[in-house]
Amino acid sequence: MFKELDPILHSQLRLAVMSILIGVKEAEFTFIREKTGSTAGNLSVQIQKLKEAGYIDVVKKFKDNYPQTLCNITASGIKAFESYVKNIQTYLQQ
Amino acid sequence: MNNQENFTEKDSLRLITEMINKTKQSFHDTGFGPIMWGSVIIICALTSFFSLQYNFKLPFNIWLLTIVAIIPQILYSIAEGKRKKAKTYNDIAMDYTWIGFGICIFILSFGINILASDMRNGITDYLKNRSDFRFGDYTTSFYLMLYGIPTFITGGIMKFKPMLFGGILCWALSFVSNYTNLKIDMLLTALAGLFAWLIPGIIIYIRCKKNKSMHV
Repeated sequence: MFKELDPILHSQLRLAVMSILIGVKEAEFTFIREKTGSTAGNLSVQIQKLKEAGYIDVVKKFKDNYPQTLCNITASGIKAFESYVKNIQTYLQQ
Repeated sequence: MNNQENFTEKDSLRLITEMINKTKQSFHDTGFGPIMWGSVIIICALTSFFSLQYNFKLPFNIWLLTIVAIIPQILYSIAEGKRKKAKTYNDIAMDYTWIGFGICIFILSFGINILASDMRNGITDYLKNRSDFRFGDYTTSFYLMLYGIPTFITGGIMKFKPMLFGGILCWALSFVSNYTNLKIDMLLTALAGLFAWLIPGIIIYIRCKKNKSMHV
């Protein structure tokens, strides 16, 4: 029996964001945009969705007088990501 | 990248791998720290060696250079912190390891200086009868032992064998230095600086240059 894939994570850009954040303690918004090659607007929307799901934390600060947005994955985000990976592995084994 | 939701499980796995690899490739150490500290330790140790070999004394303690070197290290760390757009868990582990090492070296130097000063004041009768006694003969092994700890940890975390072996070499030299005099100890310290920091630092620097030219 296949478990349903987490709809929050089963989206290209959101999964890409989570894959980046799983390997770092925190990352700037610009870093994520650079790595995913997405537009700022689209990325903002997807980050907001991940934040609402409780998968990531977003902190807004100032760095050298410029606004800085820092993102980091939460404990429930790590759990969700791990179970997502497990589920897709189950799909692929069939 | 768009926000496509009808991609397959294979695509998911490929995307995860691609993003993790992309993130990993974003972090390149420049080798500044190991090159600078390796050079400083080699200069200090060799100067001490030559001053013992040819009986000359500098007007200042050459090892004070290690305190001066903290300034460029701090400036570099601040600049790096500003430049880096993401912080990895490895960065944090290494920051704490090297800060801890710096504190240990300071405490050790402080303690050794107090002990040496007490001994010079003649609290031990044994020393009065030993004009050839040199306190430094017995302290180098502690420094080399400490040099090995963060070097070994860094080598392990970074999966960087030259530093891992450099750390092990520091411990081997630390053991050897128990049986050698201060003059030879200084050569052993220079060797530690060369193999634990300077050479690994140069390797990191070359790798960093190569990676940068590949991504230009």
